[in-house]
Amino acid sequence: MSTKLLEVKNLVVKFGGVTALDNVNLHVNQGEIAALIGPNGAGKTTVFNIVTGYYTPAEGEILVDGKSMLGLRPYKIARAGLARTFQNIRLFGDMTAVENVATAADALNKSGLVGSLFGVPRSRRDEKASMEKAHELLKFIGLDHRALQMAKNLPYGDQRRLEIARALALNPKVLLLDEPAAGFNPQEKVELGELIRKIRDRGFAVLLIEHDMSLVMDISDRVSVLDFGQKIAEGTPVEIQNNQRVIDAYLGVAEDAS
Amino acid sequence: MAKLNLRDKFGDWWDGASPFSRTVFRILAVLAAYAIPFLKNPIIDTPETSFNSVLFYPLVMFSLMAVGLNVVVGKSGILDLGYVAFFAIGAYTHAILSAHTGLNFWEIIPFAMGFAMFAGVILGLPALRLRGDYLAIITLGFGEIVRIIAVNTEAIGGAAGLTDIPGPSSVFGIEFTVMDPRPYYWLTLTAMLFVIWGVLRLSHRKPGRAWEAIREDEDVAEFMGVSTLKYKLWAFIIGGAVGGLAGAIFASNIRSIQPELFTLNLSIMILACVVLGGMGNIWGVILGAVLLGYIPEKLRFLSDYRIIFFGLLMVVMMNIRPNGLLPRKKREVVGDKS
Repeated sequence: MSTKLLEVKNLVVKFGGVTALDNVNLHVNQGEIAALIGPNGAGKTTVFNIVTGYYTPAEGEILVDGKSMLGLRPYKIARAGLARTFQNIRLFGDMTAVENVATAADALNKSGLVGSLFGVPRSRRDEKASMEKAHELLKFIGLDHRALQMAKNLPYGDQRRLEIARALALNPKVLLLDEPAAGFNPQEKVELGELIRKIRDRGFAVLLIEHDMSLVMDISDRVSVLDFGQKIAEGTPVEIQNNQRVIDAYLGVAEDAS
Repeated sequence: MAKLNLRDKFGDWWDGASPFSRTVFRILAVLAAYAIPFLKNPIIDTPETSFNSVLFYPLVMFSLMAVGLNVVVGKSGILDLGYVAFFAIGAYTHAILSAHTGLNFWEIIPFAMGFAMFAGVILGLPALRLRGDYLAIITLGFGEIVRIIAVNTEAIGGAAGLTDIPGPSSVFGIEFTVMDPRPYYWLTLTAMLFVIWGVLRLSHRKPGRAWEAIREDEDVAEFMGVSTLKYKLWAFIIGGAVGGLAGAIFASNIRSIQPELFTLNLSIMILACVVLGGMGNIWGVILGAVLLGYIPEKLRFLSDYRIIFFGLLMVVMMNIRPNGLLPRKKREVVGDKS
């Protein structure tokens, strides 16, 4: 009944002799917040790097809304509907907040360089659309008052949210969030949870990598657990919390102290 | 922030200025630039070389090339050590086409730029898949390859080069003669103003954002839907076109060209203009070019020792302002609503 917007089938990834991901199956349904958890080094970020086209898998299939993404360059995959944030913030530091978002919004129009040079009507229209969209998204994440500040000068929490706005500017089918709560205090984590729900309610499906268990269990509709490159469990937050393999692999250790 | 900052003072004025005063300022600045050859001032005058010929080469020529190279190095963050190749291609295009076809200088300009752009594509398509140091080495090789081909191709004069290159035919009653460098200065200045206009337009729009994103983090730019290869290629093409344009003007002025005019030294020199002036800021880059062109001429009384002093001066300047004299800087509007 629900459509799978992102589907990863039988993914195998090898770095030299190391098998980073071993036959992993994942999917994200329309309108849901899915989470991917697992101990450090389990291969979570590798999943993001694979589906966004940064690495090529040894085996497997990646489908976005039913279309194969294998072999496409990252920018094509981004335009096809997968936008991501980064574990360690990677904004365009010397650009303003609004330019950061507009850069991603630009990807959705086909205006070329020559058109921009001569200011043809289409390029003007697209330019206006990109800037309006960027401002609208900044307002959505509550950063419109910092639109003209350089990204590198923003406070840490604002930088994290700006990354989310930048990814949303691509109108993704699935938004991939890589540890968005890292470095947040409890209050900020609650706000982030609300923001992610708001994003879901705007119609974006979300795939979340997160170490903060209370956040994951609070907002996720479905949780998948990776350990040593293999998916060891999948289910609702309640099921995962009571899954013995997960507890053994992960929840039993001090990782979930927060 | 007790330090008096002329740049911010100007920025504040500019932000508050009406469109009318901005236009007036622009017109005055352009007129002043065109009027420089009429200055008779012993302080700025250069010893041993006529100031007007220094004004054409190296000052405005370096400036034009630095503005072109800045698109590649400063805007997009691609280290290009072979920029002289595009300059050489422009110069040779004018020399060859004017000798073998009936085309005059003005008609050849599009070809000179076109060939240089094409060379940008030829170099860029394979080279731009690499990054950083590796790419720099390839561009360095490209610069040398173009020069060495010129040295070894007898049909284009070999090491002796080409002579009897015609100058531009007169326009608006201005004659381009061998004796008077001023028309060439005005010509190059005009070309540069067009290039600045174009580059500024692009900088404030989608291509400018794409270039900056690539400079800041190429991988992330790609993840955000920017076709990095396409925009890096465009940077090469635009940089190449400006280099080709500069080369054609240069050849039409000096009337005879040899491959030895187009050595790595010139690439490094233009790169130094960009870095010293302030990567990514068009006005800084021009300032860098003017200073680096002017200082060696001013120091000519030291004869060959001037290069040592010149080097020393550069080391000192880069120590004082490591980001360049006028680094790129966006004026931030800081607002706090909460």
